Amino acid sequence: MRLNVTLYRVMAYVTGVVLIVLCVFAIGQAFTDDAAIVNAIGTLHGLLYIVYLIVSYPLTRRLRLSAGPTVAVLLAGTIPVMTFVVERRISHRYIEPALAGVTARLPGGHDAFSPRPYR
Amino acid sequence: MPGTEAPPWRFLITPKWLAWHLIVIGSVYGMLVLGDWQLHRALAGNALSWAYTFEWPIFAVFAVVFWAKTIRDEFHPPAVAGAAGEGIELPVGAAGRAARAAATSPAGEPATPEEEADLAAYNAYLARLHREVKGHGKWHGLR
Repeated sequence: MRLNVTLYRVMAYVTGVVLIVLCVFAIGQAFTDDAAIVNAIGTLHGLLYIVYLIVSYPLTRRLRLSAGPTVAVLLAGTIPVMTFVVERRISHRYIEPALAGVTARLPGGHDAFSPRPYR
Repeated sequence: MPGTEAPPWRFLITPKWLAWHLIVIGSVYGMLVLGDWQLHRALAGNALSWAYTFEWPIFAVFAVVFWAKTIRDEFHPPAVAGAAGEGIELPVGAAGRAARAAATSPAGEPATPEEEADLAAYNAYLARLHREVKGHGKWHGLR
């Protein structure tokens, strides 16, 4: 769990930074007409996103996220700045409580921080 | 009554899951189309397209694998850290009060006003947590 969280955070930040760099160069390309750098960074981001998916999907299962947050985590790697936003949000709402072992029993059969009850 | 319970795979044909099946099938098909398009661009001499020619099918495979694993997890939920009853986290002081309440008022005996106030406060705490949890699936913005 802890290793998975660390890997997810590393990949979220690396993928996010590369994506922002890619955007900066893509905007620059409009003026310089030199596609080589953008192509290289674009390919790099594609590869990093594959790793990001491999790392983040198991984490969404471990945290027992429902469909919405899961899709948000997986797609965040393709939208500029989104990895930072989603990582922060997921950390606050799910990762930190999970690492702290907080699973309060709640009325209605829900566990706090694992909102989707398993049948 | 045996034989009348819903089969375990029944959830797969609920409207919500059917919608997800369609989304997955549609997105996988779309990714394969994009991969095919990139292959043709690559064959036409666009060197960059070779990377995407392989990436799109990989993403399509990911979608299928993640989907299969999600459905498998629905059938066999992974063990949760801190089994039921162990990981219960009570607010500061509530654990002692709850234990005392359990010890001093066995079932059936009327509780003292003090114990009732404790219980009401604890129930209010649970209700607040429950409200917070119910909002989990929604987007709250940056926190």
